[in-house]
Amino acid sequence: MKSAVKNFKGLSDKAIAWIFITPTLILLLAINIYPLIYAIRMSFTNFYANKIGREPKFVGLKNYQKILGDEEIWEKMQITAHFVCWTLLLQALIGLGLALLLNRKFKGNELLTTLIVLPMMLSPAVVGVFWTYLYNPQVGLFNYVVNFFYDFGVFDMIGSSTLAPWSIVIVDTWMWTPFTMLICLAGLRSIPNYLYEAAEVDRASKWQQFIHITLPSVLPFLLLALLFRGIENFKMFDLVVELTSGGPGSATELASINLKREAFEKWKTGYSSAFAVILFVTIFGFGNVYVKVMNKIKER
Amino acid sequence: MKKLLSIFLIPVFTLLFTFNVKAESLTLGWAAWDPANALQELSKEFTAETGIEMNFEFVPWTSFADRMLNELNNKGKTFDLLIGDSQWIGAGATYGHYVKLNDFFDANGISMDDFNPATVYAYSTWPKGTPNYYALPAMGDALAWAYRKDWFDRPELQAEFKSKNGYDLGVPKTWDELYDMCTFFQGREIDGVVRYGAAINTERGSEGITMGVTAAMYAWGMEYEDPNNPYSMDGYFNSAAAAEAVEFYKKMYDDCAPPGHSDAYMVANLDAYKSGQVAFQMNWYAFWPGVYKEDSDGRESGFFANPCQNVCAATLGGQGISVVSYSDKQDLALEYMKWFARPDIQQKWWDLGGYSCHMDVLGSPDFVDSAVYAQGFLDSMGIVKDFWQEPTFVELMLPMQERIHDYVVNGKGSAQEALDKIIEDWEEVFEADGKI
Repeated sequence: MKSAVKNFKGLSDKAIAWIFITPTLILLLAINIYPLIYAIRMSFTNFYANKIGREPKFVGLKNYQKILGDEEIWEKMQITAHFVCWTLLLQALIGLGLALLLNRKFKGNELLTTLIVLPMMLSPAVVGVFWTYLYNPQVGLFNYVVNFFYDFGVFDMIGSSTLAPWSIVIVDTWMWTPFTMLICLAGLRSIPNYLYEAAEVDRASKWQQFIHITLPSVLPFLLLALLFRGIENFKMFDLVVELTSGGPGSATELASINLKREAFEKWKTGYSSAFAVILFVTIFGFGNVYVKVMNKIKER
Repeated sequence: MKKLLSIFLIPVFTLLFTFNVKAESLTLGWAAWDPANALQELSKEFTAETGIEMNFEFVPWTSFADRMLNELNNKGKTFDLLIGDSQWIGAGATYGHYVKLNDFFDANGISMDDFNPATVYAYSTWPKGTPNYYALPAMGDALAWAYRKDWFDRPELQAEFKSKNGYDLGVPKTWDELYDMCTFFQGREIDGVVRYGAAINTERGSEGITMGVTAAMYAWGMEYEDPNNPYSMDGYFNSAAAAEAVEFYKKMYDDCAPPGHSDAYMVANLDAYKSGQVAFQMNWYAFWPGVYKEDSDGRESGFFANPCQNVCAATLGGQGISVVSYSDKQDLALEYMKWFARPDIQQKWWDLGGYSCHMDVLGSPDFVDSAVYAQGFLDSMGIVKDFWQEPTFVELMLPMQERIHDYVVNGKGSAQEALDKIIEDWEEVFEADGKI
């Protein structure tokens, strides 16, 4: 034991660092990097995982050409973009609004915060299932509430191709706005009070205080929250599958749902690997650009 | 002390010994629905006779195919016996998931002639129609209809219907009549409650809308392929009659379905019917014992086979029971199958609510009177047609689900376009599978 300690003491800092890092690196290589490289390799083949004994053939860029030239894939990407853009916009606006509201001191503030945060603690699958009941045109609460304000008559949020894309936006916004709100609230609470005091001495209006102090201070937090939500929503699956199964038809079939169907129902492993690589590159590319923009905003 | 120990240890060892004796067990996988509960009940007799414990795993229909096919593809040992859907037989046989049963049948005097020919063809054989058996017909089934007989029997409704349509309100003989009756009830107030026409299959995720729309397409005379030129589908699957059937199904959805019935299959149809929303429901025979048993508060149910149109035909459901080739307990599993094939057990199976395919049961003089839906079941099993049973059936099902749902529920494009696109998708699948 003593000699082991002695040996350990004899190691350089760099060697000790490697000893600590190696297990993590091995894990990372095994469960992240290897599958990624394997998927990239598969994406150049016509491999079908369910066709036992059939050797995959190298097909070059055929899978990529097919995907990028397929109108239906672009439709799925548009549906995904609609979902991601609208959920981010709504979650940013409502989340920031709620955070500003809850940043004030009033009776019941903590209870209200807890209640608002509840939806994001639920399982997405559960949320999907119970919103199908809320959206039910005959007995659902959603129709009742909307018709209470204006008589639209019976409308089917999930069964209509016009309304279904909005139905998933509403549910995701309901579920994940609290997340944006919490991050913004953390940002708001980190703004020192003396900034507002100084602004008041300078006779700045509330609006000016918001534009010149609050918003710049909270913006990096908000952007971080939107980065997380953007990545999550780009690969959204469970909530939408439970809510609409991608329907009606393919009106809410997001790219990730289509990918799952191609990979694990049609078993087109090569083709779906190529699709997964394209999605990965898209998210990675957008993410990188976004982080750079975010860092520039922070530096200001 | 010794006495005390022996008092304690003797029962413990006895118990351990008992458990050891009963250690032999089998696991059977099936979908979670009423017949599965009946089979669980029936299997207690097998355990009593043989001492072999039966374990069951019943998976909800929506994830049944995913769960079971993944298990088979992964060569899983979870199941010794599997009651798999009729369309899986191709994959089960081709990829070696199921044990071939010919030798076992010969050795144990089990003859396929003792079972309904349509069920043997659909549930047991691969390649289709050849004497190569991979399953024993376990649960006969077809898509059929239940209706509110108590509403149909009301004189004022009968008179109004006759004056409007010129014929009696009763069991519809054709899809046209079915449509007349569905629209008659659509939005009608009965006993102070607004009712609707029919709960039909519209489910997008698994197989729901395909099973529903093919009930109409078969009745219009649709064939999947040229009988003389396999896998040649143009002009058959997308014939004018087939497109007309799909348009008709959309008309049924638009004019007869209750609001919000846009992603509905077995359970949703049952719920719509049981809650008194609809006059008709489309569903599998498997559910009729439960529906009939639960008739109460004035509800009286009637049942009928899929109506004819250009021809008489019905969508096949049901399953065969197979021995999983990856099981370590194949001998025990075959013992269960031998027991299940016995005519007396098949009679008990029918009595408990399972749909036996054994000719001794179906041909019995008492059979037709044994249940109100028995005649319909017999009629249906003579006219059933099934979806592709190819090893690639999942790949074939998915585009049909998407295209048909897109047209019927989403209103995108035309029926003809939907069918043409399905053929394109299917040709791609068959090409990849080396069939064309």
